[in-house]
Amino acid sequence: MTRAAAVLAMSLLCCGARVLGAQGSDFLGRGVRAYQALEYDAAAVLLSQSLGRDSLADSLRARALTYLAATELFRKQRDSAVAAFRQLVLLNPLYRPDELIFPPQVTNLFQEVRRTTRAIAVTVPAVSEVRPRAERFFTARVLASSLADVTVTLAHEDGTPVRQLYSGPVADSLVVTWDGLTAAGAPADNGRYVLRVTPRTLTADGPRPRQVMLDVKQESPDTLPWPPELGTPPLLPERTSAGPAFRSLAAGLVVGAAAVALPSIMAQGKDATGARFAVGAAVGISGFVGFFAHKPRPIAANVRANGALRDTWKKKLDQVKGENVNRLRSTRMVVRAVPETIAERGSE
Amino acid sequence: MKTIALIGLLALAAPALGSSQARPTLAFRGDAGFVWVRSDSAAVGTGGPARMRGPVLGGEGRLVYNGFSVGVGFLSGTLQAADQTVKRDLVEGRLVVAARPLPWLEMSVGPFVRAYITDSSTERWVFWQARARVDAPIVAASLTSYVELWRALSSEVNLLSGAGRVQGGEAGVVYRPPQRPYRLRLAYRLDDAAVGGGRSGSQTLEAISVSIIVGGW
Repeated sequence: MTRAAAVLAMSLLCCGARVLGAQGSDFLGRGVRAYQALEYDAAAVLLSQSLGRDSLADSLRARALTYLAATELFRKQRDSAVAAFRQLVLLNPLYRPDELIFPPQVTNLFQEVRRTTRAIAVTVPAVSEVRPRAERFFTARVLASSLADVTVTLAHEDGTPVRQLYSGPVADSLVVTWDGLTAAGAPADNGRYVLRVTPRTLTADGPRPRQVMLDVKQESPDTLPWPPELGTPPLLPERTSAGPAFRSLAAGLVVGAAAVALPSIMAQGKDATGARFAVGAAVGISGFVGFFAHKPRPIAANVRANGALRDTWKKKLDQVKGENVNRLRSTRMVVRAVPETIAERGSE
Repeated sequence: MKTIALIGLLALAAPALGSSQARPTLAFRGDAGFVWVRSDSAAVGTGGPARMRGPVLGGEGRLVYNGFSVGVGFLSGTLQAADQTVKRDLVEGRLVVAARPLPWLEMSVGPFVRAYITDSSTERWVFWQARARVDAPIVAASLTSYVELWRALSSEVNLLSGAGRVQGGEAGVVYRPPQRPYRLRLAYRLDDAAVGGGRSGSQTLEAISVSIIVGGW
């Protein structure tokens, strides 16, 4: 029972949302049919109701405003018609009523309003990939209903200026590009930015500034690891070991000492001649000779072989470094326009 | 005892013999040296305690077969007291069977005879030696030092009241000149023999020698 009630409630919620979403376009359709049936009062009500829905898409909103303006014109409400067309121009400065659908008095009024209503807009792709070295830039399209002087700037979300992208007139539309660099020439940091299109002269009847929020993110490519440091092996020892030298010295000294100590070991308490000292000294000196003969010294062949290995390793390292520099140069920047802040609706 | 020592030595050499395909080689050593003998026993011919010395010459030949060798050695010289009133000949002979279980270790065993000869009598020592020699290379293939110790497994002596402990040792250095077929050796040797269990004194022999060695020892 409880589960059935929950399912029913969920179904009602979903259907209700659909009904609410569909109401804007439904009013628009009914308003258009009323207009076509010359029922202008009903059409005005229905179209106004359709515009009252926030869920109405911009393209449908532009259509509704056009029909509303035509309806008001035929209802002899010229001011209302002008107001509707003004909203249309502000919504989309490039929008034009279809001359096959609307009579000349409607389109003429629209042109009149368009000439007197100065509006600008900016459109950007939802996602852009910026690769300056590949000449792939971020592009923004600035639209103007009439000739306007504008400044296109990029700033941090907190308003700190980053770079001015354009400053000058816009007759109809203008494509502004950004290479991903700041005014100082450094790549822009990750973060949220604001692309702002501002009239150079702000007047009461002039166009309102427009802005688009942009999320900028650097996406660095993977770099190659450096070749492993050379160790032993593969490097060969470049000097002979000190071990044999000390072993030779130890052997000479121990055997020499043994010769001297032989009477004490094998014939305790007996007098011995000095002959043992001569032999002990000779063996001890031999130990020193062996020590110096085995003294660590450079091994030329190994030094040469290691030099070749080091050269090869350095070449590999340089190749990797060069490749990494190239890869880092090809760092790409992804710019995403935040959907809900594409335009300032409230500014109208 | 002698048989056990010989069997042990052969057992040590057996692995080398079994795996060897090499041909036997001969090696010779010629010695020239000087000997000091100090005797405080009442040996015949010396008339009591004596100190004698004199030059000696000797040699040894070995048949070497891949770590196993059999050798015969001989040494002879004339010893005199310092005042030249006493004189006698020294003669030594030995037979040795040696094995090299490790490259740096040689173990040998064999009978050793030493005789002090005068015109009227001969004092003869006979003992079986067990020897161990350790080689300590100083410069590979050209300079090697060594220490050798030995002890008698059994001993006999005539004219005296019986032999006691007999032992000795040798230390020296062997040099192989570059690209020469021989080696030169300088060695110091000391043998000490107790007479009558030590109660009747002892004989001590010291020798310093220079040798030339030909062939693989």
